[in-house]
Amino acid sequence: MSFATKSPWVIHYDASSCNGCDIEVLAALCPGFDLERFGIVNTGNPKHADIFLVTGSVNERNQHVVKQIYDQMVEPKVVVACGICACSGGIFHDCYNILGGVDKVIPVDVYVPGCAVRPEALIDGVVQALDILDQRAKALEAKRKGA
Amino acid sequence: MGFFKLGSMTMGSLFKEPSTLRYPFETKEPPAGLKGRIVNDKDSCILCGACMRACTTGAIAVDRKGRTWSINPYRCVQCGYCITVCPKKCLSMNPHYSEAAREKKIRIVNVPEHPKPARAKADAAKGVDAGAKAGEEAAAAKAGQKATAVKDAEGAETNGAAGKDAAEN
Amino acid sequence: MGKQTIIPFGPQHPVLPEPIHLDLVVEDETVIEAVPQIGFIHRGLERLVQTKDYNQFVYVAERICGICAFGHSMGYAETVENLMGVEVPTRAQYLRVIWHEMSRVHSHTLWLGLAADAFGFESLFMHAWRLREKILDVFERTTGGRVIFSVVKVGGVTRDLDDQQIDYMKSVFADFRAEYTKLIRAFLDDSSVKNRTVGVGTISRADAVNLGMVGPFLRASGEPYDVRMLGSNGYGELEHFEPITDDQGDCYARIRVRCEEVLQALDIIDEMLAKLPAGDIAVKVKGAPKAGSEACNLVEQPRGECYYYAKGNGTKYLDRMRMRTPTSQNLAGMAATLKGCDVADVNMIVLTIDPCISCTER
Repeated sequence: MSFATKSPWVIHYDASSCNGCDIEVLAALCPGFDLERFGIVNTGNPKHADIFLVTGSVNERNQHVVKQIYDQMVEPKVVVACGICACSGGIFHDCYNILGGVDKVIPVDVYVPGCAVRPEALIDGVVQALDILDQRAKALEAKRKGA
Repeated sequence: MGFFKLGSMTMGSLFKEPSTLRYPFETKEPPAGLKGRIVNDKDSCILCGACMRACTTGAIAVDRKGRTWSINPYRCVQCGYCITVCPKKCLSMNPHYSEAAREKKIRIVNVPEHPKPARAKADAAKGVDAGAKAGEEAAAAKAGQKATAVKDAEGAETNGAAGKDAAEN
Repeated sequence: MGKQTIIPFGPQHPVLPEPIHLDLVVEDETVIEAVPQIGFIHRGLERLVQTKDYNQFVYVAERICGICAFGHSMGYAETVENLMGVEVPTRAQYLRVIWHEMSRVHSHTLWLGLAADAFGFESLFMHAWRLREKILDVFERTTGGRVIFSVVKVGGVTRDLDDQQIDYMKSVFADFRAEYTKLIRAFLDDSSVKNRTVGVGTISRADAVNLGMVGPFLRASGEPYDVRMLGSNGYGELEHFEPITDDQGDCYARIRVRCEEVLQALDIIDEMLAKLPAGDIAVKVKGAPKAGSEACNLVEQPRGECYYYAKGNGTKYLDRMRMRTPTSQNLAGMAATLKGCDVADVNMIVLTIDPCISCTER
């Protein structure tokens, strides 16, 4: 395990969601399910974060904000799309200003379904994201040594 | 400044058992009736397509020629409306939630011909992204036109709850 | 006179669970004006009535907001029942009131945790959300979902409560009440909380009525208005209902009104569970609303009064569905309270108003 996966910090953003998945993301960080025992801390600064938890089907105005947060994050980084709205647009996929899921704006690594997403499923998704983060950190290290 | 106001609660937390569910090392048994995922009993399904037309998000796709019933777990919002309109009552809600994954795979159920004494084995999870998704977009477009026709046919549907009788209409 | 600068606040900020952008015009740490810009959550879902029929739209109405989910599905279903002249059985009305009051308890407990977090009182945030898990367990057992329930349909409800579930609910609420009382006493009697909130963000009763505010925001300024006292639908079965008010109109008053509303809601649930009548839980609804028919409905959600309007056109698709949510009425009041406060108080004042931006923008 590389350093990044020992205590990954998350940044959470609500991109046009109904708030159901957001309160479940916060509930996963609270004593009920406690992601903080893995060393995960919720931060507001994109440059401090390793994992980007996005909820919500993105609307036209929000796509620039999501793109900016993703661009500001430092490599290696992972994106987890939480909830049905973030995976595919959900029940709003035919609304006139909805793009239909976060993968239309930024590349997504893990999809977690559920309406609203269950904290247990979210923990499964974060654990898979940690594997991907580990691989990316090692690849980055190898490239730096080789170059 | 006052004294330690949350003192009794904090002392209690030190000595009582923790309220955290230490997932993934411990799991909680899901209560009955929890909204997890929709499953189809392939032996009673007649591929009528009522669930496909009723689905609020267009997650279900029914292919009569290929004899498959498929659901996109990344679009289903677990509302349960398909369960109420199914005429054969073959759809039900399984309490276990759909899992997280790296790609969006669609769950396909092969519905065998009826009646047949020796049944073919059904496979539960095959990954076919593009083909089934195209089939489901076409189905969602059809759902808009066919909705009124189906709602009239629904007059004969059996509602799960004990509804009042025809005296109401 | 100092120089005026503009500080942008949001849409991504650790204390904001939802995206809203506020331009704070600031002169030497005092906020002169706050200009809100909304539009980050607008999904345009009222237009979906044209493609989803009135039965399917309940599921869309629920997902307007995850915290007020039950209130919206209940308000929508009651509006369509008024439109079509459907009489809902009494047991269904009682069940709807019980779930709605539980939703109110959940919303105010969640809000207490977020307000404490904005204060810097992180241990209270964790305790409040730990208590909230108990309410969510009751929701899971009785409705099948933690946040979005899908138990209301036009004509009644889809699930019933049996005796075992009722006993479980009574025991959970008794424990909850004891711990919750300890928690609010720790928050309300704390001297540093009082120093930061008494006299901050004051709105007088006349201003509150003129700006059209609703909910606990209005009741904390002394105006006793609550839709539940009009006694429509299930709320007409209550023996006695008195809205909780405070006459100071500052942040401390708003916090106190919300904390006491939880105890009142627990009393209502106990009363309703004790006299739950037997009977059916739904009626079958056939046909479509008549062309040109209109109906409206009022519901007291945790954040205030919510108004629904529906219009039928003879088909299974409604012609128009309009929801005027409480936070859209409170935005003017929010801009008024932010005038003249310190920059460091902005997030605390915004949270005592309890905004739900996804309800406002739909």
